[in-house]
Amino acid sequence: MYRMLLRKLLEAFVTLFCATLIIFALIRLAPGDPVQLLLGHPGEAALSDKQAFNDRAAGLRAQLGLDQSMIKQYTAWIHNLVQLDLGTSIHTGRAVSAEIVARLPATAMLSAAALLIQAVLGLFFGTVSALKAGKSYDNAIRLACVALASTPAFVIGLFLLSLFAVTLGAYEISSEAGLSRLWLPALTLGLIGAPQLIRMVRANMLSEFGRIYVLSALSRGLSRERVVKHALRNALLPVITMIALSLTSLISGAVVIESIFSWPGIGKYALDSILLKDYPVIQGYALVMVSLVILIHLCVDVVYALIDPRIHRKREAGAEEHV
Amino acid sequence: MSNANHPVSLVSGIVVLGLLAILILGAPFLAPYDPVKQNVTERLEKPSMEHPLGTDRFGRDVLSRTLHGGQTTLISSVVALCAALIIGLFVGLTAGMFHGSIIDIILMRLIDVLLSFPFMVLAMVIAALFGTSLSHLLLAVVAVWWVSFARLTRSVVLHAKNETSFAAARVLGATNGAIIFKELLPKAISPVLILATFELGSLILSIAALSFLGLGSQPPAPEWGSMLADGRDHFMQAPHILIGPALFIFLTVLAFNLIGEGLRDRLDPYEKTEL
Repeated sequence: MYRMLLRKLLEAFVTLFCATLIIFALIRLAPGDPVQLLLGHPGEAALSDKQAFNDRAAGLRAQLGLDQSMIKQYTAWIHNLVQLDLGTSIHTGRAVSAEIVARLPATAMLSAAALLIQAVLGLFFGTVSALKAGKSYDNAIRLACVALASTPAFVIGLFLLSLFAVTLGAYEISSEAGLSRLWLPALTLGLIGAPQLIRMVRANMLSEFGRIYVLSALSRGLSRERVVKHALRNALLPVITMIALSLTSLISGAVVIESIFSWPGIGKYALDSILLKDYPVIQGYALVMVSLVILIHLCVDVVYALIDPRIHRKREAGAEEHV
Repeated sequence: MSNANHPVSLVSGIVVLGLLAILILGAPFLAPYDPVKQNVTERLEKPSMEHPLGTDRFGRDVLSRTLHGGQTTLISSVVALCAALIIGLFVGLTAGMFHGSIIDIILMRLIDVLLSFPFMVLAMVIAALFGTSLSHLLLAVVAVWWVSFARLTRSVVLHAKNETSFAAARVLGATNGAIIFKELLPKAISPVLILATFELGSLILSIAALSFLGLGSQPPAPEWGSMLADGRDHFMQAPHILIGPALFIFLTVLAFNLIGEGLRDRLDPYEKTEL
């Protein structure tokens, strides 16, 4: 048991290490000189200022550590990372970690609320759909899922925004986070993730209904309700995992939703930073998000192993099935 | 919808896709106006008889632009998907064939690492560092999307290796290359193509989302993504600019999802289980 936990932890660290390599390589591969980006092109300066410009450029280069070898730069970066130093924003001059931490609550609030909405919708409609498999309720739910899953996220967002903010006047647009403003972006984000969850809950319930114990319980005369209750409990464990794993796609979805609703979260901050070419922010954002995903995957693995070692082994064997 | 003998979703998906293909491929003949011709006297006009989907900020006909733009969007999506599919097949076949070897371990580790990058995050990093353009966006798409094909192919290969035909080929002295191309590849193709049908829908949606955020192709190209970015800037005055490309994206993705759903219904035995 402890050996398994240790192995998972080690694997997570290796993954994180490889991820830092990829991010570092991407940044170094990028065309353009970061120093020139910061100071502007030397051609723009007057001829007499050339010397001063070059001095400043060299100074900045040394300050950013760009005059050192790749390996030194990487180890210096990792050294800072370990101390939770993600660098300094070019645009504001503030620490990236502070900027991210300041925006974390808004994104966390949005994601948590969206996750809750998604889970409620997924469990309710997924179960109804499975219980009425092949009937008109089921068909209606499945059709709605396909339609919803085919709609671009921003269309749902803009539609809800114009409906509630403009037509009904029930929603106030401002750039501040707050509980009174949370419900509409959370609802949008929840709706985007719901179809996938509904489909998974339905498929899981149906495969549970196909098991021998359900058939034998029914044939021994147990009421349908009681059998369903048992099947539901058994089908629930993988569903909880799916909900946890859907946090990854929530991170992606949150960028669009935060942008549409001007929700002051990390996603919107990163997006704004792209337009400002603020490299350290993008780098920090990517690293924080990747770490978060690795952490979630690790937690899911550990919880799985703790609850049911049998399921854990099965998951290992059949991991490829859930693409 | 769930009845395998009447694959309604499969048929309706194919019909929708066929209609879209006619509209988009026939754009040069069907589009009422020139997609790039500007007409400043008719800026941001609401939908009317002359312009069924209205006009954009340069007075260009949104319907014509949408029909013409579909070609770029769909072709680039399909090209990106094919690239991801081929890389995925290659990696999956290699990893599965040499299961347990150092190559397999390295490839699987790489997949784990890529799986920890949310798609949006990787696309944003690439857009930030290399600049915003459709080709960079497609690069990010391929970098992320091959993973699911590789995982599927690998698991198919691992199953196939347990079959008698595989052992027979080995006994008869077939080379690794011959086994991969004659035994394993044919078995992997059909599940991978079914997955591709589903993935194409979500791929188009992801490209659309990133384009909407301004990370895809830039205006003035008549392409759905850039039209979305354009429409976003004028959403409050003229929401109809968005409606054209958004509607076509919805219909395209819907068609692929219906086809995927129909294919899955026919293949998945669990779907027929009832209590």
